[in-house]
Amino acid sequence: MQLTKRGLLRTALSTAAAVALVGADARIAQAEAGDAIRPLTLISRAQAANPQQYQAAELIAQAWRQLGLEIEVQGLPRPQQSDAVWYNRDTWDLTMWQMVGRPERSDPDEFVYNLFHSTTMEKGYNFVGYVNPEYDKIAEQQRLITNKDERKVLIDQAQDIIDRDQVYAFLVHPMKVYAFDSSVWAADSMVEQPGLGIKNFWTFVGAEPVGDTKDMILNSSDELNAINPFYISGATDSWITELIWDRMMRIGSDGLPKPWAAESVEWSDDGTEVTLTLREGMMWHDGEPVTTDDVIFSFTAPAEGTNAPMYKPFVSNIAGIEATDDRTVVMTLNEPNAAFETSTLAKLNLVPEHVWAPLLENLTEGETAEAVLEESRIGSGPFKFDRWVTQQEVVLSANADHWSAPKMDRWILRIVLNVEAALGMLRSGEVNFMSDYTGDPELLLQAAEEDGDLEVVQSVDIGFQYLAFNLRRPPFDDAAFRRALSAAINRDLIQKAAWNGFAVKANSHVSPALEFWHKAGIADGLQTGMDLAKSILDEAGYEMVDGRLHYPAGGTEQFAD
Amino acid sequence: MQRTDDIRLPRHGRTALAGIARALRGVWEIPRRDPFAAAGVILYLLFILVALFADHLVTHDPREILFDENYDLARNLLPSADHYLGTTYSGRDIYSQLVMGTRGALIVGLTAAISVVTIGTVIGLIAGFFGGWVDTLLMRLADVALGVPFLPFVIVLAAMMEPSQWNVVLGIALLLWPQSARVIRAQVMSLRERAFVEAARVTGAGPWRILFVHIAPNVLALSFLYASIAVGWAILTEAAISFLGFGPSNTVTWGYMLQDAYASQALGREQYYWFVPPGLCIIAVVVAGFFISRGYEEILFPKLRD
Amino acid sequence: MGYVAKRFLQMIFVLWTVATILFFMFRLMPGTPLAAFIDNTTTAEQQDALIAQFGLDKSLGEQYFLFLWNLLQGDLGQSFFFKKPVLEVVWQVFPNSVILTLTSLIIAYLFGIVVGAYLAWKRGSWVEGVGIPLVLTTRAAPEFWLGMVLLAFFSFHLGWFPSGGANTSGSEWQSGWSRLTSADFLSHLALPAITLAIYLQGLPLLLMRSNMLNVLQEEFITMARMKGLSTWTIVMRHAARNALLPVATAFALGIGGAVGGNVVVETVFSWPGIGRLLVNAVSASDYPLAQGAFLMITFVLVVMNFIADITYHLLDPRVRVAANG
Repeated sequence: MQLTKRGLLRTALSTAAAVALVGADARIAQAEAGDAIRPLTLISRAQAANPQQYQAAELIAQAWRQLGLEIEVQGLPRPQQSDAVWYNRDTWDLTMWQMVGRPERSDPDEFVYNLFHSTTMEKGYNFVGYVNPEYDKIAEQQRLITNKDERKVLIDQAQDIIDRDQVYAFLVHPMKVYAFDSSVWAADSMVEQPGLGIKNFWTFVGAEPVGDTKDMILNSSDELNAINPFYISGATDSWITELIWDRMMRIGSDGLPKPWAAESVEWSDDGTEVTLTLREGMMWHDGEPVTTDDVIFSFTAPAEGTNAPMYKPFVSNIAGIEATDDRTVVMTLNEPNAAFETSTLAKLNLVPEHVWAPLLENLTEGETAEAVLEESRIGSGPFKFDRWVTQQEVVLSANADHWSAPKMDRWILRIVLNVEAALGMLRSGEVNFMSDYTGDPELLLQAAEEDGDLEVVQSVDIGFQYLAFNLRRPPFDDAAFRRALSAAINRDLIQKAAWNGFAVKANSHVSPALEFWHKAGIADGLQTGMDLAKSILDEAGYEMVDGRLHYPAGGTEQFAD
Repeated sequence: MQRTDDIRLPRHGRTALAGIARALRGVWEIPRRDPFAAAGVILYLLFILVALFADHLVTHDPREILFDENYDLARNLLPSADHYLGTTYSGRDIYSQLVMGTRGALIVGLTAAISVVTIGTVIGLIAGFFGGWVDTLLMRLADVALGVPFLPFVIVLAAMMEPSQWNVVLGIALLLWPQSARVIRAQVMSLRERAFVEAARVTGAGPWRILFVHIAPNVLALSFLYASIAVGWAILTEAAISFLGFGPSNTVTWGYMLQDAYASQALGREQYYWFVPPGLCIIAVVVAGFFISRGYEEILFPKLRD
Repeated sequence: MGYVAKRFLQMIFVLWTVATILFFMFRLMPGTPLAAFIDNTTTAEQQDALIAQFGLDKSLGEQYFLFLWNLLQGDLGQSFFFKKPVLEVVWQVFPNSVILTLTSLIIAYLFGIVVGAYLAWKRGSWVEGVGIPLVLTTRAAPEFWLGMVLLAFFSFHLGWFPSGGANTSGSEWQSGWSRLTSADFLSHLALPAITLAIYLQGLPLLLMRSNMLNVLQEEFITMARMKGLSTWTIVMRHAARNALLPVATAFALGIGGAVGGNVVVETVFSWPGIGRLLVNAVSASDYPLAQGAFLMITFVLVVMNFIADITYHLLDPRVRVAANG
């Protein structure tokens, strides 16, 4: 009898029309659990590549097993992880992931819109497949409001919705840890930028040498892929392009955009027209003057064809651009955009037309500027490009003619793949500014203490580490299930045991580093605990049978192998 | 190389049995004559015992994240009665990893050795015995295998397949067989002209029977020699691949331990008790193989040495 | 001459086969070769454009013949990541690998030859009893582990050597030659070269020793002894000279093997070499670059195998007689 009823229910469920019936007769269903939840795989970067992330994954798996889930952590190389998560979006269940901080992410727009808006679900950043019209509306609206306080209300709402739905199980915002040798660089000339730490444009331009050493030697643990004003290939080259190429505006050390190559930036009242006045006497590194034509070229070239896919979305809002005299450029926008200064004016590089126009003309159909190897790398920024030796170093030298000329002689980025070697180099003076440290922060502090001259500076990252659920695949389409799983994660433990205490708990896609936009208390407000997790599951109808967690009554497993 | 055991032909099997017996006798005789070979055999036995009883010897699950009584991560603990070799940066018991690593190392080493030597022996036998175009084909294949850079090939394999220690075994089996195949081929070429092979042929034995029953046992010793070296090669290669980060995250091997120690900055923390023991274990197993193979060589091929 | 020509054709055959295997291996592996572009906000059309740009939209057969045709002209394709010709990227690091390999091989072979000859002379003594196991132990130690320990001690602890890389950052040089002969370069080269040499010396040492043992028993040595020549003269002038040929062959083979085998040492010492380039290219799914670096390593290996065979053939009287007869 029981069997028949269950069999019937299953048949009923397979037709969409019967779904209502199950809801109506919940009492029958409650008597029986659904199918056991399939064994799940939690994807992570391999232990060797990202030990913190892998450790967090193992800790989470240990916790979830107590809920009656069968769970295996799988460490994969990046290409294989991307292949599953990004290119085959309906094949995976759970993955560890991270978003990194960049200067232009100082405005919450990029994360608020791209991560969860339904339009980015097929190919873009919304790889978890979150669809919520209510959220979409807020994400769209916050872009149009230029009043900061009004916009803040919407950004708060966006954070609340994501908190309520637990689309991600947010884990931590890691601390960015940097160090420099204070016997080489004056400590008070280091500038701390929220969310980015002391490794930022303002430090590089303002760092003052104390003694005879006037070369700043930094390290990167990543191989460099490109130095190209129309292409960002990774985190490392984006620091370099910033130095070589000027921008109309720059993100200031307070996280807000401020005029840079533009002397002034003036908006019309309706927020659809902006007048930019170019600084006087600007020169390209080859001695040619920077003209309004160059400025127009810099904003129009990326929009054309497939020239610069990375930058195209950021100029698509520009309806028209023209020079009104030899220093003034007026841009008109399709619609007002609160993040325009940050995501466009402070993001697009000013590129010399006389160098790049002929190169772009030669592109064949479908080719991008990314494929162009322009080796002079002429910009107008405070640093000039000297050389780049594969796997070894990038050397920039100070542009003494710049209005904001750096005080150092050269800026040298050294590629050191191993943390231990990088730390050794910092101790021996082979590196005097540690700009990339992925190791144990305690060791760095210890080294600083022994050395005496080394100073370590930490700050909270704009980026964050999280666990993503694939909402396309039950049971992860159920917000209650996600909430329960998220509640079972002990963030204090993750913060201590995976990040060795050098991280702050996260529960929002807007980092506390962005003090104004972050919803205060949202991380501490998240209720967690194993008992809570169990009671949420219980309430939602999930049942434990012989130590295995089962779907609520009638729930079938469609993805079992 | 144990292949001949499977070929059960008792009536004509005397030579086969004699060959196996000779090979086995070598195994027992070496230690008595050569103290280093004796040391090698004892080391091997020791490691095999550890691998067999690893489950009973470990004090913790080598992959379990450990916590202290305050629920803090038990990281970087010094060696103590609870943790004979301390704990890792991520809170795992080092001693238990070392013990479990023995199993991983031996499994990789032995399977790789058996597969590469089986392939090498069979190809050497066939090429040497049949000659002609078969020989030419197989030897050109050997040229190709020798022309593929070994470690880079294994790296590419490991990066493209699912991370697993079998990638190393596969790489070794695919690329390192020509060494043994060539030597065995030469041996077979001289053997096939010998009287006892002729005798077998006259009594009507087919070519395959002659090959596997009469000739194969005589090259077993050579196979064994190459196998004992291949074990070491496989263990070293596995360690290198794990060290480069292409190993599986969920299997504890000595190479994995060294990679973990290196990436977790054990050098900077001067945790010698972490990164020295796995290195010494690798050296011990590999050296044991060398010692045995040298002793074996001396006994079976005395002419080679004097 | 017939032998050389035959051996040469065989070398070409091996190169072609390896290139073919490599081509199909990279193309038939699961996953899209563009997975590496994940961090970017690429749209579907842009992905198609990229695929077209790298010729990945053509049929496999077409791609293969294009690949071979380009290879014949010395064109290894375009790196996905560096957006540069693969050959140019490879060429930037290739000399570093060659220098590291040659330096360590020379140290290893000089040491191996002298000590090998000495151990042969001391046959049966306690020196041999200690020496041989010691040599075997060095051959059994994982190179990267040895490198780790040396780096920890001599560089991090004592500070005698730099922590990695091939040069002090930002150093300027008049020419490539002045860079290679500078104290700065040599101090960076020292630790990795010694690490490799410790690993490599075992082979020439053991080879030299067993060859010496063979030669020392031959008649002309006995003759020389009877002539009353001194021990040293006998060893050096007669025995060593005859024992050297196989060692020299092994040297050529060693170059071929080590250029690709150095990858772990290059990693430990952050040495900008071709092995590390290959590892990076592979982890970044930069197939053209990985393929190019791999082919370059293969090329050195196969050519060195060829040279070793030819040298042996031409110089060894016994082989020559056998070949002629």
